[in-house]
Amino acid sequence: MPVYESLAKCSVHLLVAAALAAGCCAKSKVGPSKGASSDDPDARVPGAIVVDFKDGTTKEEFDAWEKEWGVDLEFNSIEGPVDGVTIAVGVKDVDQVLEKIRKHPAVEAAEPLMSLQASFVPNDPEYPKQWNLRQIHMPKAWEMSRGSGVIVAVIDTGIAYEDYQEFRRVPDLKGIKFAKGYDFVNDDEHPNDDHGHGTHVAGTIAQATNNGEGVAGIAFEATLMPIKVLNQFGMGVSSDIADAIRFATDHGAKVINMSLGGGGYSRVIENAIKYARKKGVTVVCAAGNSGLGRVSYPAAYDGAVAVSAVGPDGKRAPYSSFGKELDIAAPGGDKRSGPEGGILQNTIDRRNPARSVYEYYQGTSMAAPHVSGVAALLYARGARGPEEVERALFEGASPVGDKDWSEEYGHGLLNAEASLKLVGKGPVPVDWAPLLIGAGLLAFVLLTLKTRQRMGYLNILFSPGFFIPLVLATVGVFFARWAFGGASGVSGEIVNGVSLPIPDWGRIIFGRGKMASPIFYSALIPLVASLIAIRAKGLRDVVAGLGMGFAGFLAYAAWAKAPPLAYMPFTFLALPWLLVNALVCMFIARAMLRKEAAR
Amino acid sequence: MKLSGKVAFRDLEGGVWVLEADDGQIYELAGDRRIQKHGKRIEVEGDVNSQGVGIAMVGPVLSVRRYRFL
Repeated sequence: MPVYESLAKCSVHLLVAAALAAGCCAKSKVGPSKGASSDDPDARVPGAIVVDFKDGTTKEEFDAWEKEWGVDLEFNSIEGPVDGVTIAVGVKDVDQVLEKIRKHPAVEAAEPLMSLQASFVPNDPEYPKQWNLRQIHMPKAWEMSRGSGVIVAVIDTGIAYEDYQEFRRVPDLKGIKFAKGYDFVNDDEHPNDDHGHGTHVAGTIAQATNNGEGVAGIAFEATLMPIKVLNQFGMGVSSDIADAIRFATDHGAKVINMSLGGGGYSRVIENAIKYARKKGVTVVCAAGNSGLGRVSYPAAYDGAVAVSAVGPDGKRAPYSSFGKELDIAAPGGDKRSGPEGGILQNTIDRRNPARSVYEYYQGTSMAAPHVSGVAALLYARGARGPEEVERALFEGASPVGDKDWSEEYGHGLLNAEASLKLVGKGPVPVDWAPLLIGAGLLAFVLLTLKTRQRMGYLNILFSPGFFIPLVLATVGVFFARWAFGGASGVSGEIVNGVSLPIPDWGRIIFGRGKMASPIFYSALIPLVASLIAIRAKGLRDVVAGLGMGFAGFLAYAAWAKAPPLAYMPFTFLALPWLLVNALVCMFIARAMLRKEAAR
Repeated sequence: MKLSGKVAFRDLEGGVWVLEADDGQIYELAGDRRIQKHGKRIEVEGDVNSQGVGIAMVGPVLSVRRYRFL
């Protein structure tokens, strides 16, 4: 376990030199961190260096030397004349300059300046047992957001949130804000927990933290909305779930956590999730505990974030379900090597709802609230809707293995710190690779034609009739996303939809599904267009551009381990499907280009 | 529906009771608590609740009407 010093509450980000941190820390109130070191390029302050001269070196001395190095060094602080620590900014080639400086006999050390970000280490006595919170980089994330003002609905067995009749609030939820919820099992306004599961889940999201009691939670300044749909045996009916989702959405929840599953496909629940998402709510669900390659409902629905579970080693826990609808992995515990491998939170004793206990649970139910908690942090940090939250969650996730996406881990392992850094950075950066691949494949296609049948490469590429459909099919109307990206609601969805590359337009029709439509991810559109071009010869270069664009897009999708395709029984079929269709697209484009040249 | 298999406690979600049916299917057991005897072979009569959802997520929820330990 990393050794944290006792400065729990430092909330400022300070700039200090990593190597000198040990000496400076006591003075400069910086929480220790294992984060920044000289080989961490992300932590470097651009163009800034720090040089430690021998103690007692004077400004006159290094002013004389610095001309040769081409930098302007100044003492770092009033301690400078004593400890010889200097800094310089605006350095052009940091590495080269440092190499020169290090050769000087009066220099003890010279390094790039590092940005050390403070860590928040809560004082909850059982916090050291919460390996799961360090696994998702919470100490750094808490410095950026604690979920203030965001309502998270926990649709579960209820929460031990109030003293009411025989129920007692558990001590480690004292001080947490609660929104009015509902008990759909007993049809009243007191969704207390008579099981233990819901309180445990709620604790992961927002246990009272830094209160010197028990354990910590992720978004401890968020507001919890308790909604009870499961009875004392942890069971319920799907009709209540649909009502609960709509209740939470209509009462201001930004995040809905559903650590439950079962039953078959239900149109009613699917519609409720779509409704929530349209209203700007992020819906997070547990993938299931069958250990099989099938994500359970409701996690499998479009619009829900499906979460699998990992143990302390970051590997998928054996009980965790997985599959092509999976979105992300988070700690859910693995107790095979002892109970400490589970997730520790405050909950109630199953045999006595009035009795508080701290228990290690394991299950995908424990993984989902990690994602819900981080989603709350993202909203509090300024994320504008489920699109932006999901993008930050998925792009920030730490990749597992060499894949961008896998059935076991989705986009990777939840990383709260990295995801928070992606909020407010504007819309999705444009991925130019499909366009470049399309342009590259054009050169290949031209080479397969006889010299007399083909036009010059650049003449074709930059004729508007060819280039515009090429851009539309590969990167879409990318500048529209820059202008409107991240907007929520129906208008935002349409703008986001039509600005996508043409193969992704299927998502406008079929919804923002987890899976791409194989009808759109195919040669169908260029093929239909080419049939039209048989009559309308002026369209030839347009169809050629479309064909090359689709070829580039599909080839890139195949190479980048594309999203799984809907209606395909096996995920491995996606690769040959994409490659074959890319070839067909190239063939169509080739036919169009040849006729054009032969005219 | 009549099934035979083994009753088992699984340390998931704070603890769930399942029927490991002889055909390989795992059911979450709902109904009589006296059925909760880990490792016992059993014959049960009940229905799969297609509307049933729960915390276990191990398989279909089986509402037990009658049972007999073997």
